[in-house]
Amino acid sequence: MPHPPQEITSSSLPTLLLLLPLFSALVILLAHRVLKGACVAISIFSAAICFVISLMLLGTKDAAPLLLPFIEVGKFHIAIDAVMDHQSRGMMFIVTSIGFFVHLFSVGYMKEDESKERFFGSLSLFMFSMTGIVLSGNLFMMFIFWELVGLSSYLLIGHWFEKPSAAEASKKAFLTNRIGDFGFMIGILMLFMANHGDVSFAGLHASFAEGPLHDSAKLHPTFMMLAALGIFMGAVGKSAQFPLHVWLPDAMEGPTPVSALIHAATMVAAGVYMLVRCAFVIEASPDASYIIAWIGGLTALMAALIATQQNDIKRVLAYSTLSQLGYMVMAVGLVALQAGGSHHDAAAPGHPAMFHLYTHAFFKAMLFLGSGAVIYACHHEQDIWKMGGLAKHMPVVFITFAIGTASLMGVPYITSGFWSKEAILGVAFEVKGGSPLLWIGVATAMLTAFYMTRMFIVAFFGKPRSENASHAVEAPIIMILPLALLALLTILSPWDGAARILEAMKPHHAAPHHTVEIASILALLIGSGAGYVIYKGKNSDPLASNPLAKLFANKFYFDELYTVLVKVFQDGLAWIITGIERILVDGIVARLPAFVARRFGHSARALAGGHLQGYTFLLGAGLLVVIYLIVFVLPQAGH
Amino acid sequence: MSVFTIEAFLAILGLVLLMIEAFAPDISRRTLAALSIGGTALALVLFFTVASHETSSLPAFVQPWMKLDSLAIFYKGLSLVITLLVLWLMHECAPYLSKYTVDGRLSELFSLPLIVCAGMMWMAAATDLVTVFVALELVTVSFYVLVAFARKSNLALEAGVKYLILGALSTGILVFGIAWIYGATGSLSFEGISAALAKPETSKVPALLGAAFLLAGLGFKVAAAPFQSWVPDVYQGAPIPVTTFLSVGSKAAGFVVLTRTVEALIGEHSIIGPEVKALLLVLGALTVLLGSLPAIFQQSVKRLLGYSSISHAGYLILALACGDSIRTGMTSGGIVAFYLATYLPMTVLAFLVLAVLRVNGQGEDIRDFRGLGKRSPLLALALTLALASLAGLPLTAGFMGKLFVFFSLVDHAYWGALVCATIGAAAGFYYYFRAIVAIYSTEGSSNEPLKLNIASKVGATVLAVVIVVLGVYPKPLQHTLTKPVEVAAKASAH
Repeated sequence: MPHPPQEITSSSLPTLLLLLPLFSALVILLAHRVLKGACVAISIFSAAICFVISLMLLGTKDAAPLLLPFIEVGKFHIAIDAVMDHQSRGMMFIVTSIGFFVHLFSVGYMKEDESKERFFGSLSLFMFSMTGIVLSGNLFMMFIFWELVGLSSYLLIGHWFEKPSAAEASKKAFLTNRIGDFGFMIGILMLFMANHGDVSFAGLHASFAEGPLHDSAKLHPTFMMLAALGIFMGAVGKSAQFPLHVWLPDAMEGPTPVSALIHAATMVAAGVYMLVRCAFVIEASPDASYIIAWIGGLTALMAALIATQQNDIKRVLAYSTLSQLGYMVMAVGLVALQAGGSHHDAAAPGHPAMFHLYTHAFFKAMLFLGSGAVIYACHHEQDIWKMGGLAKHMPVVFITFAIGTASLMGVPYITSGFWSKEAILGVAFEVKGGSPLLWIGVATAMLTAFYMTRMFIVAFFGKPRSENASHAVEAPIIMILPLALLALLTILSPWDGAARILEAMKPHHAAPHHTVEIASILALLIGSGAGYVIYKGKNSDPLASNPLAKLFANKFYFDELYTVLVKVFQDGLAWIITGIERILVDGIVARLPAFVARRFGHSARALAGGHLQGYTFLLGAGLLVVIYLIVFVLPQAGH
Repeated sequence: MSVFTIEAFLAILGLVLLMIEAFAPDISRRTLAALSIGGTALALVLFFTVASHETSSLPAFVQPWMKLDSLAIFYKGLSLVITLLVLWLMHECAPYLSKYTVDGRLSELFSLPLIVCAGMMWMAAATDLVTVFVALELVTVSFYVLVAFARKSNLALEAGVKYLILGALSTGILVFGIAWIYGATGSLSFEGISAALAKPETSKVPALLGAAFLLAGLGFKVAAAPFQSWVPDVYQGAPIPVTTFLSVGSKAAGFVVLTRTVEALIGEHSIIGPEVKALLLVLGALTVLLGSLPAIFQQSVKRLLGYSSISHAGYLILALACGDSIRTGMTSGGIVAFYLATYLPMTVLAFLVLAVLRVNGQGEDIRDFRGLGKRSPLLALALTLALASLAGLPLTAGFMGKLFVFFSLVDHAYWGALVCATIGAAAGFYYYFRAIVAIYSTEGSSNEPLKLNIASKVGATVLAVVIVVLGVYPKPLQHTLTKPVEVAAKASAH
């Protein structure tokens, strides 16, 4: 069947986006012993081409090409299809650009690693899976790639699996995500059932506008709420929202470039991306929207509180990521509430959650890569209290880190983080009943300014507090280059021109509310002022003995709580299962037949004992049973 | 050239090799193996060229008894492929097998499979019960010899005797059934039987009795309960390549006959259709359970695979009982053929690993798998795939076949059978994964790497790749097998 040329390009570019990293991952997996160093080049090359392709895709027309009819069993089918719209094009740009920079950075960072082939192979696998999530046009495909992303994240967190803590962290991330994915699967299946087997985004959207889902949203609001919350569970796991947030800080055991790419900029944002894709599902249930907004808000506040008392540079950034993801999730819930009331399309370009995702991706990736450069320079020292005075030794890293910190804190009018946070707080201000969340958001902003000032002052100013810190030197050019490029993107990202190209990321609040603006500027001043006063020139944390600070430093004791919960439930479950096994398996399956066999004596044993006579007898008896059944029993049963 | 020529060539080649063995004992085993394998490979190549060109080209003198439809062509191809693989396995196993024969000679081992193959190919195209019977006996009698081939092993002798006596008994039952069917319907061809059964005046009880005997006889060949008791003993006693041949080749041949018989018995307006369907459902469910549950306790891999083969037969019988499935758009025959095509690579792969271990002086129990992950990562991975596929793990070949069976059960709302099938599948995950765990456990095993020749490496890799490809992208195979339905759908539309 001849295709018009237009169609060929519209499906061949997404296909290439998917296949290149897959190809790279497979080649590295199968031939890493032969290729050795060339693996690195292959992986980088595929990342670079993907970056170019996603640039080419910017500004193209919307399309929904079918790439592969994966499974077709009569009416039931799973397709690998791509949705090319403002949202996926924008996300593709984020994923491939940061992906490419992180590949570059890793060349320097992983130079002395013995198994860097495995590292780059897993990175390529991640790029493949992430591309799949971004492009997917239906929930089944998204789920498949969702799991693949989980797998590649597991592999990368556990890259240094000889270290027990890394092995534990990868296991924890994987298992915690299982819980979320289970809910996600149930949500998908509920929609699958309610919409008669169609879970393509287009089909679901149409059905919500006018169709079976529209009706069931009216008739069964509880069902719709559970379906929306099921879908949200997926995001709770992947985007590390309360109460499944515990895996993300531990995931920092992975190499730092991985933290930058997967656990700050892209994979953890996939949950938010998915929620915005499914915005119409959430909108249909105001209750679900409300719960989602609150979970986001609470995660933002809780993580910010914890971040104030962390000493590991990567952990501070990890909790700040949690907190910012909380903002995004809160925005998803709030926008759904707003749209549900007013019937305007939440998936339209300019979703505040997507805008924050986009600005956050660049500055947080930069902060992580910057922390990576710092850690590299300090010979894998991660405690900020053992750094200090790094501003003089590493000027470029210092400058980029400053830009990132300013963006994260939301320095007004000049940084990207300010605009995207304003957009979210603006929605909270507008939505009816959103004011508690608005104040939570402002409080979080204040805490953010506080802990970022703390970390910045302690790590970069004062005197070097360890041998390693005093000998730190500027990172090599291959690590500086990605940092500089990300800094450039961070500065450019709030600029109108950039936002116009990435339609999805443009905020739709042209005029911010003055109340909100003043509140967040005050929050910034108070937070960073307090941080400056408390931590200027200190050699240890003056707040450490405070009981409240201890609570934060111990992350509200979530890990301990979960250990107890798991222990109680798991032991309880094990007790029940043992009981079942004793009664069912030992008793009914094993002992009872043995008992029966003994009772029936030698005849039964002879039949089961391998004697030909026994077999012949069984054959004959079987024949009689068959004849009896077909001639006497079944004709009666049939009528 | 027609397909029939290829079949005749195979049978004649088999006879010639037998003669060479008898009159020229100096010719080496290697030469005979090469001749046999080469001949089969040639036949396979010729078959593909012939089968893709002409649709029905049989010589006039066999046309009354045979017909080439797409199912026949598929099963003929399958027979050739499995024969080729078995001959190769025999060549691989020759070093240890020759220890068990009287004078260390093995040549019947390379000639009899060719005759079996010809028999299976004829069976695939047979249109009447007499032709089926003759072809079936050609296969079965050859198998009597093959099963008892390792004459110095007591287990093999015992297996041979059991198979011979029980097989003969079942043949008797089968002939008796054919006679009853002929008496009831006045016809021996499948078409004639189907037409006669559609007439209301045909008397029902004799037809039912005939069907019972017929299904019992064929049930023995495909290892359906309650005629399955011979399977574990015979599988355990027979040499590994012969067990492979039995579990794939003999089973496929049995199922093509069973497919055609059942289609004839439950055709449209058949007076005994509901009873036969109900019987098949009961037998199928029983077979799944009697195959899966005892397998949980097995220690010997060959016995395990024997029980597994029984439970797979159960799924296939359930598929046959369902008839055409609307949801999958496939006929029951298509589903069975698909299932068998996926069953081939995984079973052969499992037996190949067993053979390699055996050649390296290892036993045939699950505990002999221990440490395989260290000793040969390639073989361990391949075996893991094969076992996972036998269990029906998604994205392996075995998953799709089971999925189709489950779909057709749901289509026809046979919930009881569905429950049994689910229990069987769950038990399957238990016992196959028990073997997988053994592969990767290291305690109490030797650590020296396994010696693998290049053919085994390539063979294992190819089979493993086939398993994955069929699991990830089953559509091409599915499409070749759905064609007959489309034709049937069109025919019924007119």
